[in-house]
Amino acid sequence: MSSLIIVRNLKKHYPIFGGIFKRRVASVKAVDGVSLEIYKGETFGLVGESGCGKTTLGKTILRLLKPDAGNIFFDVPEDIINEIVELEKTNPKSRRLKRLREQYDIATFSGERLLRLRRRMQIVYQDPTTSLDPRMLVKDIVAEPLVAQGIAKGEEAKKMVVEVLKKVGLGEQHLYRFPHEFSGGQRQRIAIARALVCKPEFVVLDEPTSSVDVSVRAQLLNLFKDLQKEFNLTYMFISHDLSIVECISDRVAIMYLGKVNELAPTQKIFKNPMHPYSQALISSVPIPDPKRRKERAPLAGEVPSPVNPPAGCRFHPRCPLVMDVCRKKEPQMFEVEKDHYVACFALAKR
Amino acid sequence: MDLSTKWEEIKVAWEPRIKEWKFMLKRMRESPLAILGLAIIIGFVIIACMAPILAPPTGPDPFILKVDTEFSVLTPQPTPPTVKHIFGTTGEQYDIYYACIWGTINAFRVGLLVVVIALIIGLVLGVIAAYYGGIIDEILMRFTDIIIALPGLVLSMALVIAFPTIIPLDITLIILVISAILSIIFAAFKPERKFLLPTQIVLFASLLLYIYNPIFIGLNLSRLDKVLISLAIVGWPGYARLIRGEVLRVKNEDYIEAAKASGCSDLKIIMKHILPNTIYPLLIVVTLDIGSIVLTAAALGFLGIGAEPNFADWGNIISRSREWISSPDLLVQHYHTFLIPGIFIALFVLGWNLLGDALRDVLDPMIRRR
Amino acid sequence: MEEDTLLEIKNLVVRFYTYAGIVEALDGVNLKIKPGEILGLVGETGCGKSVTSFSVLQLVPPPGAIEGGEIHFNKDGKIIDVRNLPKDAIRQIRGKDIAMVFQEPRAYLNPVYTVETQIGEALLTHRKSEFLKRAIEALEKAGKKSSFEKKVYERMLKKPKSIVTKILAKFSRQKTLKEEIRKEVVNLLRSVEIADPERVAKMYPFELSGGMAQRAVIAMALSCQPVMLIADEPTTNLDVTVQAQILNLIRELRKTFKSSILYITHDLGVIAELCDRVAVMYAGNVVETADVYELFESPLHPYTKALLESIPRPGQEFKSIPGTVPSLINPPKGCRFHDRCQFEMEICGKVKPKFIEVKKDHFVACHLYGGQK
Repeated sequence: MSSLIIVRNLKKHYPIFGGIFKRRVASVKAVDGVSLEIYKGETFGLVGESGCGKTTLGKTILRLLKPDAGNIFFDVPEDIINEIVELEKTNPKSRRLKRLREQYDIATFSGERLLRLRRRMQIVYQDPTTSLDPRMLVKDIVAEPLVAQGIAKGEEAKKMVVEVLKKVGLGEQHLYRFPHEFSGGQRQRIAIARALVCKPEFVVLDEPTSSVDVSVRAQLLNLFKDLQKEFNLTYMFISHDLSIVECISDRVAIMYLGKVNELAPTQKIFKNPMHPYSQALISSVPIPDPKRRKERAPLAGEVPSPVNPPAGCRFHPRCPLVMDVCRKKEPQMFEVEKDHYVACFALAKR
Repeated sequence: MDLSTKWEEIKVAWEPRIKEWKFMLKRMRESPLAILGLAIIIGFVIIACMAPILAPPTGPDPFILKVDTEFSVLTPQPTPPTVKHIFGTTGEQYDIYYACIWGTINAFRVGLLVVVIALIIGLVLGVIAAYYGGIIDEILMRFTDIIIALPGLVLSMALVIAFPTIIPLDITLIILVISAILSIIFAAFKPERKFLLPTQIVLFASLLLYIYNPIFIGLNLSRLDKVLISLAIVGWPGYARLIRGEVLRVKNEDYIEAAKASGCSDLKIIMKHILPNTIYPLLIVVTLDIGSIVLTAAALGFLGIGAEPNFADWGNIISRSREWISSPDLLVQHYHTFLIPGIFIALFVLGWNLLGDALRDVLDPMIRRR
Repeated sequence: MEEDTLLEIKNLVVRFYTYAGIVEALDGVNLKIKPGEILGLVGETGCGKSVTSFSVLQLVPPPGAIEGGEIHFNKDGKIIDVRNLPKDAIRQIRGKDIAMVFQEPRAYLNPVYTVETQIGEALLTHRKSEFLKRAIEALEKAGKKSSFEKKVYERMLKKPKSIVTKILAKFSRQKTLKEEIRKEVVNLLRSVEIADPERVAKMYPFELSGGMAQRAVIAMALSCQPVMLIADEPTTNLDVTVQAQILNLIRELRKTFKSSILYITHDLGVIAELCDRVAVMYAGNVVETADVYELFESPLHPYTKALLESIPRPGQEFKSIPGTVPSLINPPKGCRFHDRCQFEMEICGKVKPKFIEVKKDHFVACHLYGGQK
């Protein structure tokens, strides 16, 4: 499968200012060296607990945030990527590398080029109440990307808005209303319509069903699936709800404290999680079947602060398989079985 | 596109906003104090509009009070209300009724002008400070702090004394400076191209004019106008701080980031998203302020830093009664010189205050409902 | 009310009088909790679970009011009509016999007081005489038999309400009493599995993580050894690993303290993990109550069936319940679920089904099972 997005060693730190002169005292290492690939047309699930950096990762890939280090390649031919990787290893200061990066690496984009990029990647936020401007009519909300990008205006924009509203299950009668006149599920549909109106290729879904009623969730998830088929979309589905991610994703990455621990196709990772954190996470999910109650020891301790993550492997203070090397060096991702990547020293030994 | 469908469309587009306003009005109707406030203000508006009918102008400039020569010959003291002068006259034989009626127009002018000027300055500075943050925020807010430290009373006095009545303004210089600032802003913040180019054209044109043929205009500022300017200068920091707080709150909401993700420029985000969502608390403060500005202007007028002695202004008329404060019997005898204009001022301020309170009660749940 | 029931709610009706209209929040809710059991109350947002829990302690906020039904609480063998209790009597019960734990723990902790101060306040409110006695004993053991402090404590025990006592209490620094309370707070924090309880006791709520704050709130709720704990979605905002820890904790605490728990949630997985019995709510009614195994194995009410089917299963289409939750301002006539029900009959839109026992200990409100009686 061809890759739509390749992320290499992405880092995003939020500075913490302190002292009289507000100098950068420390930083929250929200995303601290993440590399992954998203294939065209797939649903890529990203799970983790609060503070692991999944939302930051999604927004950084969309360039809503500027990364502090690393590359993001969006729809770049494979040979160019290989060339860049080679050059970085052999000749990091070459001018050709710099030119290639400026041309293809969207981490360096700004201004006009970034604006044109926005048309191809969009985001649907978690809470539809705050992601829609309460003072704007639905027509203006959904037409905004068209107007801002200069794609269409006025009547033409209105036609495109009606078209996309019909696709998400709303209609022309909803054009001239305010968001607060709708239910949570409908508002989320408006947000989806806004994301799709300029026909993007890649959509980041940031916990799109968390703020919505349980009975509406299934409707929205079915809508996502239908839209993906119809418009040939690639999704990044960010969630902390593992049961939903299990049902909708093709591949899943599990994040912890700014790094990806495990990455594999959905079935493999849920049937056979290898990383100790993944195992603890997946077994913590309560199963809706009382006959399968487990008396299991839950994962001890709490997630450390991302300002001062533990040295070496981030998970080592809570890991049952901790070894000496885990305290000092950071494990790299390696392929433990086909398509199944893990970053763990204990597993590498076997 | 024929007219009838266009009209239909407009009707449909405005329907939800009209529904919102109707809901607002319904809430307001439920509070008797709100209706009272509204009634008072409407009453004053009627008086202001019907001033030429209620009190026929005495000359080319209706705001200049005429001395009633009949009475002035007879006595230097204020005359109590009679048929000819319904509210009586002041010591200089100015008709109080006439002054109160035309003073209404002046009150509206003072209140609205000061508030609008202060609002514009405060809005622009507050929004820029809050939206861009960082060092711009620091600089603008420290500048605001300096302005807050200025004493309003002293500033008014200084302006009244220092500025001549006719100020020669170099229009070309003003246009030059404004277009220079605008072109810097547009170049730095990169909104659409179509703004930058005409601004730069204007810049160069005014530069040429300034060098070769500056145009002067004499700006005629009455004393009251100078007081207005000083009140506006002292008034805008409050608005700036208020809107800054609101913008800081709204700035981090998801829909602002979504607008950025859609590709909106900063200016568009400010105008279309941030301002409509932050302006409501400001509207409430503005209505309350109109009343208090008029009160302040009247107080300044009483102290003598207001309009010229023969100007139709409430504060001015009350200041005519300064001579009678010392002795209590005289005060009671000439009650009409200060009581009647005082009632006008009090009612005016009361009306705006009630209106502002009612607006706050109505807008608060509406904001929270969202 | 039956012998072995701790709390019984019969036909509870609660209405909210708002600008938009009268919200019929609860329309005849029936619940029964036995001592020592965990009853799960499950339903979607807006179905009235929280309102039910607030009604038990007369905490329904205005513009809401309890307008019908009965709430009976079995306190040490005496059956009390909680709904009509006067204010100071209900305050005796709140916190002491029935305690509550809420969804967002840091919203329910006062941010300007330390954990120690807040739990200490709860202890002082309900167990003051016990701690006074402990303080007196501690002083006697330390050999200070006739100190001023001891006399103050003794007087506080004997004549708690006199003005002289209150003035004297202000003069004394009450060091020993505070020390006793602090020791108990640390014990409580240790019992909810907080590591390093001494340090955590001195922290402010904003310094606590979500999981720790929730444990602190649970500690506060359990401080007076209540016979019943109402937990309103306590783990919804927590990460799934922390949720597993808290669920484990609740199970342990049930064994130690033997209190009943009314556990409110919308997560069927948590219900299956934790509860003994389950009550399913929809739009202001309890539609089904059963033992947890029975409910998951053979649900009777169509809504329960639809809820269980809508649990996402990998490889299958997502099943949803058609339609939306009705507005409670003008609720549907008859059974409130009838317009979304796939088994709808004519009578469902006209007559409200009664809540009857269809199988042993399995109650349903549905015309399919003869709800007309």
